[in-house]
Amino acid sequence: MNALLKDFRRSPMQAVLFAIVIWAAVAFIFGPIWSVLKFAFAPDGTASFGALFELAESRRVRNAIWNTLIVTLLSIVTVNVIGMFQVAVLEYLKVPGRGFLRLAYSTPLIFVSVAAATGYGFVYGQTGALTRMIQAVYPALPNDWFSGTLAVVFAHSFLLTSFHFLFLRAAIRRVDYATVEAARSLGASNLRAFVQVVLPVLLPTIFATTLLVTYKSLGSFAIPSVLGGRRFDMVSELILTLNSLRRPDMAAMLSIGLGAAVILCIVAMQYIERRGSFIGGAKTPVPIERVRIGNPIMRVLVIGLAYLVAVIQLLPIVLVVLFSFAPAKSIGTEVIPSTLTLSNYVTVFSQDTAFIPLRNSVVMGLAAIAAGILISLFVVSMAQRVKGAVSNALDLTFMIPWILPAPFVAIGLILSYDEPNPLVLGTTLLGGFWILPIGYAIGAIPMMIRFLRAAFLSLDPSLNEAAQSLGAPSYYRFVRITLPIVLPVIVLVSGMTLNSLMSEYSMSAFLFNVNNKPLSIALFEGARSTNPEQAAINMVYIVLIMAFSLVTITLADKYGLGSGQEKR
Amino acid sequence: MKFTGYLTTVSLAATLISSTASAESLTVYSPQGEERAVWITEQAQAVGHDITMLSAGGSELFDRILAERANAQADVVLGLIDASMATLKSEGLFEAYVPSWAEGLPAAYRDDADNMVYKFWQTPIVLAYNSDALSADDAPDGWLDLTEPQYSGKYVIGSTAWQTTKSYLVGMLVLFTDESGEVTDEGWDFMQQLYDNAIVVDSGDAKTAAFVNGEAVLDLNWFGGVGNLGESVGYTPVMIDTEGGTPFISEGIAIMKGTNQLDEAQAFVDWFGSPEFMAAYATEFGQVPVHPEAIALSPESVQANATLLTPQDIDWDAIAPQIDGWIQTIELEIK
Repeated sequence: MNALLKDFRRSPMQAVLFAIVIWAAVAFIFGPIWSVLKFAFAPDGTASFGALFELAESRRVRNAIWNTLIVTLLSIVTVNVIGMFQVAVLEYLKVPGRGFLRLAYSTPLIFVSVAAATGYGFVYGQTGALTRMIQAVYPALPNDWFSGTLAVVFAHSFLLTSFHFLFLRAAIRRVDYATVEAARSLGASNLRAFVQVVLPVLLPTIFATTLLVTYKSLGSFAIPSVLGGRRFDMVSELILTLNSLRRPDMAAMLSIGLGAAVILCIVAMQYIERRGSFIGGAKTPVPIERVRIGNPIMRVLVIGLAYLVAVIQLLPIVLVVLFSFAPAKSIGTEVIPSTLTLSNYVTVFSQDTAFIPLRNSVVMGLAAIAAGILISLFVVSMAQRVKGAVSNALDLTFMIPWILPAPFVAIGLILSYDEPNPLVLGTTLLGGFWILPIGYAIGAIPMMIRFLRAAFLSLDPSLNEAAQSLGAPSYYRFVRITLPIVLPVIVLVSGMTLNSLMSEYSMSAFLFNVNNKPLSIALFEGARSTNPEQAAINMVYIVLIMAFSLVTITLADKYGLGSGQEKR
Repeated sequence: MKFTGYLTTVSLAATLISSTASAESLTVYSPQGEERAVWITEQAQAVGHDITMLSAGGSELFDRILAERANAQADVVLGLIDASMATLKSEGLFEAYVPSWAEGLPAAYRDDADNMVYKFWQTPIVLAYNSDALSADDAPDGWLDLTEPQYSGKYVIGSTAWQTTKSYLVGMLVLFTDESGEVTDEGWDFMQQLYDNAIVVDSGDAKTAAFVNGEAVLDLNWFGGVGNLGESVGYTPVMIDTEGGTPFISEGIAIMKGTNQLDEAQAFVDWFGSPEFMAAYATEFGQVPVHPEAIALSPESVQANATLLTPQDIDWDAIAPQIDGWIQTIELEIK
């Protein structure tokens, strides 16, 4: 505390920033959490579990919880099977065309959330290209064959493998090939060597990716909303429904349930991460040599499967890109567009209704990033300069949103700011432009803090000390020494955040309104529409989102930031 | 440095936002479809009312108005149905104003108690069938016939956020209320069957698609919507004068409390509800006005429409407090 006061005396600016950051924490983190708890357990001021009972009585709520659990369990199995198979194909087996496969398997990095769900709907949905192709052969196939648990688990299976692609691949590279050779020289087959020697080393990573998949699947929102179809809901969707039925107490209670499940996952994940670090790989491993599958039938089978998975992952993307260049009328009538045009792109950039969501997303993303970076910079630099309980508490506070699912934060913001609130100078945020960028910023700050902390830790303290001994004041040292070193990290984190915000759906679905309709909501509405013009605009949106992702991820990768470090 | 960057972004954002907001014109919230909203705007501007219409679903607008209560964005609300206007009034969101056309309006459409909400036209919520696909004999006689097996998959229920959907659902549930005003188990069983038998959609496009591909042949719609759908899909709709009657809803207009353009808002309300404009609207869209003078000025076909269907006797004021609970039950138990 003393150190803090000393710091403020040295630089009054710090005191002002400190006050702002404390205000942000109270207004946008603790306030919303308090509102959710209050509405869930004491909507009228007295303790009550009425919301819980009403939830338990609702058939649709029970179904949604059941669906969420089933989808999550199935997804854990399918995502792991596909993810591990992909890693084995890329890193362990000799398979022709590895570059192509790697490209296909990496697509979940850029094809995410509502964009991906829309893409899958476009291929497999009611009027989807593949649906019509199959119907040409089997006319009995119902239009809505791709819906419910099947559709959601299928989409999860091929869209949530990004963790395997990033982390499991890195882990398998740490396996010491000498141990595999040893096993083989003792007579073990390829498969046996993989299962008994390689897998155990990978297990901690597999646990970690499993938990990430669980976490993602529990909170899955855009995918079931677009692909689930009639009478299929998952928990996040139900929270939105309850909110629109003006039952904030039930919405708050259900979001607490979802939050508890997610927190449980994260606790488990951290426990395993901590334990896993002891297992590790060899310090100087002999790099893995890819093995050739001896049995020709097996080899053909594995290669066939490897390409099948690649085709499934590429198909929606290829069709979306192709049809984004097709005349709107060919959507829903042609399997492959016969003519190509740029008119859809012209529409998006020239027609207000089509362009505004794009602009809204960029503006809100930039505003959220600016505020988020400012807060994160302050929190991280203060934790560096002034060690102690206050800094730690502040740091932990802004990490809280990491463990709260977006619907929880969103419901909290709605309940806190649906009427004039003195915390925001007596204004009402709900229904206005700023509530959504505030939600975006809350969600983005934990990742920003993580990266900035890492950047600050790598700063050489002697530089700062040298400047100080030469008499440079603190803001001067910050601008001339600290900032130039952490600036690349700031730019990259900003890029990655903007990238994930362009297709952010969970927060948006709760907080958007006509003043700020973002890209993800426009995409979602377009996905439900049967109007080909709208579908054409959607294709362009998805291509733009993917292109932007590709650029930021390539840059992030180039500068060694890793690309899978997205918050959720 | 970091501050400047932040400020630049914020001011950039502010510039971009302010470029869309048009502060000068009167903001009117209305659930009329896009085409009608454009027409009304053009007509209003032609006589010097600078208005911006915000069109959205009735319930969405209703929610927005409640959400924005502290920070009202609208100056005038028009076209929300009886129950919604009653709730908004009870929340204290309206400004009292007696329009120039209140004189001569039947008492049911006036607001003599509070002078806030005046009704200008009535809309039957109707059951119609595609006469190209279904004969009059095969068509249902009333709403309660919809649960019969032969109509399975032949009609579309829209989002409960649409006031049309809400109105016919409520109209059916009202038939199953007991003395205390509660819906009986029989009523909920009926509702379950009604949903099980239906194509359920969330978007207008999806509803249209069900008629385009020929699955749906029965249209549960508001009066003007029946003709619109028939025209856009290309069939001849026939409205059924249902057994037990058809719910009639009337739509009102009110000025929002706290508007900074009170004079303009009052002038707009006077113009909008005037028999002349109501008759012009009736001529354009076939909507039946409620002002006797407006009916007299309307084309004969509209005058005939005014007596085409038998109204169902519904006391909207009495059931308004129940509606939220009923819709919640439908959403959480039945849908």
